[in-house]
Amino acid sequence: MAILDENVLKDTEKALQNMVKEVRLVLFTQEMECSYCKETHQLLEELLSTNKLLKLEVHKFEKDSKAVKQYGIDKIPAIAIMGEKDHGIRFYGIPAGYEFSSLLAAILLVSTGKHKLTKEGMKFMDSLTKPIHMQVFVMPTCPYCPKAVMLAHQMAYYSDKITADMVEISGFPHLTQKYSVQGVPRTVINEKWYLEGAAPEAMVMKKIEEAIKHA
Amino acid sequence: MLNFSVNLGSDADSSIVYDLIIIGGGPAGLTCGLYAARYKLRTLMIEKAPMTGGQLTTTEWVENYPGFPEPVLGAKLAKDMENQAKLFGLEIEYEDVLKVDLAPKIKELVTAENTWKARTILIATGSSPRRLGVPGEQEYSGKGVSYCATCDGPFYPDKTVAVIGGGNSAFEESLFIAKYAAKIHIIHMLDKFQADQILIDKVKANPKIELITNTVVTEFDFEKEPRKVLLKNNKTGESSELVVDGAFVFIGAIPNTKLFEGQLDLDDGYIVTDRDHSTSQDGVFAAGDVEAKVLRQVATAVGDGALAAYKIHKYLDNPELS
Repeated sequence: MAILDENVLKDTEKALQNMVKEVRLVLFTQEMECSYCKETHQLLEELLSTNKLLKLEVHKFEKDSKAVKQYGIDKIPAIAIMGEKDHGIRFYGIPAGYEFSSLLAAILLVSTGKHKLTKEGMKFMDSLTKPIHMQVFVMPTCPYCPKAVMLAHQMAYYSDKITADMVEISGFPHLTQKYSVQGVPRTVINEKWYLEGAAPEAMVMKKIEEAIKHA
Repeated sequence: MLNFSVNLGSDADSSIVYDLIIIGGGPAGLTCGLYAARYKLRTLMIEKAPMTGGQLTTTEWVENYPGFPEPVLGAKLAKDMENQAKLFGLEIEYEDVLKVDLAPKIKELVTAENTWKARTILIATGSSPRRLGVPGEQEYSGKGVSYCATCDGPFYPDKTVAVIGGGNSAFEESLFIAKYAAKIHIIHMLDKFQADQILIDKVKANPKIELITNTVVTEFDFEKEPRKVLLKNNKTGESSELVVDGAFVFIGAIPNTKLFEGQLDLDDGYIVTDRDHSTSQDGVFAAGDVEAKVLRQVATAVGDGALAAYKIHKYLDNPELS
């Protein structure tokens, strides 16, 4: 049975018709013991039918250690959104519910290069010298979450210093403990710095500044 | 079951003057958008969240919207309203309005990305959850204190939570959280609940939910385990504690009108409108929860939106007569 219904496929096709450059979806999965691996794979297969500029590349997490290392994948299912280069945009867990839009937004971002970052934000990111890793924890039913994910991905797209993951927390219950997630969205910067809610760009930049200063 | 929601902005044109710009994409805005698009008004909606639906997106089921004898998912109802309006040509952009200039004939809205212009404006910005304003609330917001059940309910499997409030939201969302949590204490400051009787009956029939009346929360003492909500009985003055894993606050709403202060007549923060949804400013209209009125429901919001669209259409035909 199809995972995307006819209306969603139609809307998706329409949303992606503005794609300019090819986008490669690099999926990490495995056959056994992975919640939503199968569904994520099927989702991407169906997504491929909506635009010819989309390509899919599938790796087995347990076997393909070279690719796992290259893309820095530490859990599955994982999707790396690849344009002409690796911008550090990742999705961990299935991008379902409201997060499906975050996936489409990331594809369009990489394909068109269009983002909505402010001049001040870009200036700040240009000054970064150390790597920044953002993990945005989400639930598929959370309407505030895509905003945080889309912002983090745009920042990763713009800055070579920033990498950004969407992490669908229900697929990785142990991370709830590890990062004490009790509400979503929650953004974790460089493992140690936390930001609650869908914070505006300026607030995220301030948090990154803090993380750098106290690192 | 998995579902997938597509919410991406249109390619709206910021160089043109729109007939109408709707600020806010809840049921009032979406209905106004539908009607306005059918009147063939060039209409743009600007929504600050990355999807339309407003408060429909933070509730699971809607049981009192006519036409749906089986409860309808809030998110689905919102998406259907959006699709219907887009079918007739409504454009939607997901941007945050930072500044408005409502007085000139051609009104201007500034977002981080664009400056939008329109002959008329519909304000349908709704309201945001009201905060309790007690110690611990701010510090633990998102870390144990929540205002969104569909977002954070699943973090409490077999846990104990407090729900603060006595209206429809507190009761509806408690029933949702009860799907996950083992125990829910609804804490209400009065001895009577404002929720609809049908919801009160459902909650009372749910063995997981306990009702505590005449009681206010004085502090969220969440720093150390076990986490405690500190309570005070209104009648006896007696203090007590409740050990919980987290808390949800549903104590009503505050209108999203900060942008319009000084440019429109407000009453306790809500926009003062007349019966056809005109505001104190020529060419500016308001609909839905943001208006000063007595009932705030999806059903009343869609009525407000439809009537506002009619009035806007008439106004654009002949501003002098309106």
